[in-house]
Amino acid sequence: MNDIAVYEADLATKRVRRRWSAWEVWGVALLVPYVLVFLLFVIYPVAYGFWLARDPQAYVALFEDPIFVRAVFNTLVFILVGVNLKMMIALLLSGFFVHERLWIRWLSVLFILPWAVPSIPTILSLRFMLNPEWGLVNQLIFRLTAEDGPNWLNDPSLGLTFAILVHIWKSLPFWTLVLVSGRLAISRDLYEAAAVDGAGRIQQFRFITWPSMSTLYITCLLLSMIWTLGDFNSVYLLTGGGPADLTHVLATLGIRYLRLDAVNLSMATIVSAMPIVLPLVYFMMKRLSR
Amino acid sequence: MAEVEIREVRKSFGRLEVLHGVSIGIQDGEFVILVGPSGCGKSTLLRMVAGLEDITRGEIRIGTRVVNDMPPKERDIAMVFQNYALYPHMTVAENMAFSMRLRRARQAEIDTRVKRAAEILGLSALLDRHPRELSGGQRQRVAMGRAIVRDPQVFLFDEPLSNLDAKLRVAMRAEIKELHQRLGTTTIYVTHDQVEAMTMADRIVVMRDGVVEQMGAPLELYDQPDNIFVAGFIGSPAMNLLAGQVEADGFRTEGGLKLPIERVPAGWIGRRALYGVRPEHIELRDDGVPVEVLVVEPTGSETLIMVRNGAAQLGCLFRSRILPQPGETIRIAPNPALVHLFDAETERRLVH
Ligand SMILES: Nc1ncnc2c1ncn2[C@@H]1O[C@H](COP(=O)(O)OP(=O)(O)O)[C@@H](O)[C@H]1O
Ligand SMILES: [Mg+2]
Repeated sequence: MNDIAVYEADLATKRVRRRWSAWEVWGVALLVPYVLVFLLFVIYPVAYGFWLARDPQAYVALFEDPIFVRAVFNTLVFILVGVNLKMMIALLLSGFFVHERLWIRWLSVLFILPWAVPSIPTILSLRFMLNPEWGLVNQLIFRLTAEDGPNWLNDPSLGLTFAILVHIWKSLPFWTLVLVSGRLAISRDLYEAAAVDGAGRIQQFRFITWPSMSTLYITCLLLSMIWTLGDFNSVYLLTGGGPADLTHVLATLGIRYLRLDAVNLSMATIVSAMPIVLPLVYFMMKRLSR
Repeated sequence: MAEVEIREVRKSFGRLEVLHGVSIGIQDGEFVILVGPSGCGKSTLLRMVAGLEDITRGEIRIGTRVVNDMPPKERDIAMVFQNYALYPHMTVAENMAFSMRLRRARQAEIDTRVKRAAEILGLSALLDRHPRELSGGQRQRVAMGRAIVRDPQVFLFDEPLSNLDAKLRVAMRAEIKELHQRLGTTTIYVTHDQVEAMTMADRIVVMRDGVVEQMGAPLELYDQPDNIFVAGFIGSPAMNLLAGQVEADGFRTEGGLKLPIERVPAGWIGRRALYGVRPEHIELRDDGVPVEVLVVEPTGSETLIMVRNGAAQLGCLFRSRILPQPGETIRIAPNPALVHLFDAETERRLVH
């Protein structure tokens, strides 16, 4: 045993012998409920889920299911294209919303709406609007061009595109606001100094805004990717995974298997998202602990 | 280098007008200081010269060009901000090189210019540091370095020393003045500190509430203040101002104190006026007026004594080391040749 270990063992025996102080009693008393809740509602369900997904056969079946392969692909498109696109738009828009004008203030209130309203009615109403026969969009197209509009949600790529657009529409306000707060933290003097130094708008973004915002931006990007993996509404309410189960993402696919009474496949689907989730969580934690 | 012409400039924020027609002509190579109490519009005027605020009315010319509608980067000016505004993600060298980099200067030229500026300002050892690793004084120097590297037509300073402690402020004051003598670049410098203005400026512009109260060389303002605002603002400790009326043989204060005037201004006998005398222009004299000592503040080289006669209070500054007790009576007399008289109504100087 080295010195430190001896010292710690020594301390430990001392600690046992000593009576607990009132602070320590309170500390433990206040901590116990959290630990219990954590065990009951976090550790237990996760462990149970893994236990349900323990059958190796389930993974073989899963990987042989073309719907699963397609869902993995869709999920990657959703995360890599959708989320990046969303964050870039949010970054752009945040530059607009930092301006101090009264009408911009009011506009930003309107802009929050998609995020603030509940998903189910709004996404369903979008779905109805895109209905090929009686939806608002195609009726308009017919009235204007006398031709039938595209069969929006019956085309797998269009369907997925719309699901991504719905996702962006829904969560863009939130991320824009987060990035606005990041921009507001940058001193106006810096922009003025840069303007005097000869920087135009793009150079001001490149040399002032981006260096100050990049940490926040990338943290938001990772966080949004993690959350988007669990975004079930945008796909499920819009396309329901169709047509022909070609627009599923992992989150909706898990539900699909559940409804087919394939609990082990469902759990295996969730577990198979781990190779995507864990690195994201890892980078996230690493950034946050810096 | 260039001259700067500010002509009848006005500025409104919304409906509120903060500059009410300011005209200042600045010669090539001149060091002009805008001074005045906080909120009088000094920064606004400076920022209009820089192009950071637009010009509501009037005209600003730098060299031969009217710059009213010109963005800051085309005006060929450099500005030092009150809180320095150093780019936090760039090193000292990068901060200083930034403007040249934007203008796509050759790397070799950037390096020589940055190196020379760093030498002038004693920053050579700090070139690789980031602003957060520097002290206040060092940051201030980097901000100046950034301006020097540009080699602009005009330097603009907005209270560059107000975030420094007193000792550093005095040192930097001398340094900026020396820098100006060395580079000879036209400079407009804003401060609320009249001592800074007096010690550094070729010419001072005293402002109040969006108008210019007086312009002139530091000692001109000290010797011939146009009005009681300038009289009270320039000089430290501040000039004593006593209300009363002009009489045939001197000035009688409201408290009945009789004070000497060198020459009674024509037509002013019996009229109400203000009697101004600087603390350093009061002498101890046996035939002076008796006053009661209130407070004695010896600084070693001189002694500031606050005295009272009736309701009238006066500050007196003596070169000699005299230490009367509070409550004691001393006899003082203003030097009549250095007394100022102001119209009590218009608050303007009486020519006499
Ligand atoms: N952006 C602005 N919007 C509205 N009022 C302003 C703005 N900037 C300055 N002011 C007002 O203009 C006046 C002059 O301000 P400023 O030039 O900063 O004074 P100084 O630099 O002399 O202290 C002040 O009354 C201030 O409140
Ligand atoms: Mg100011």
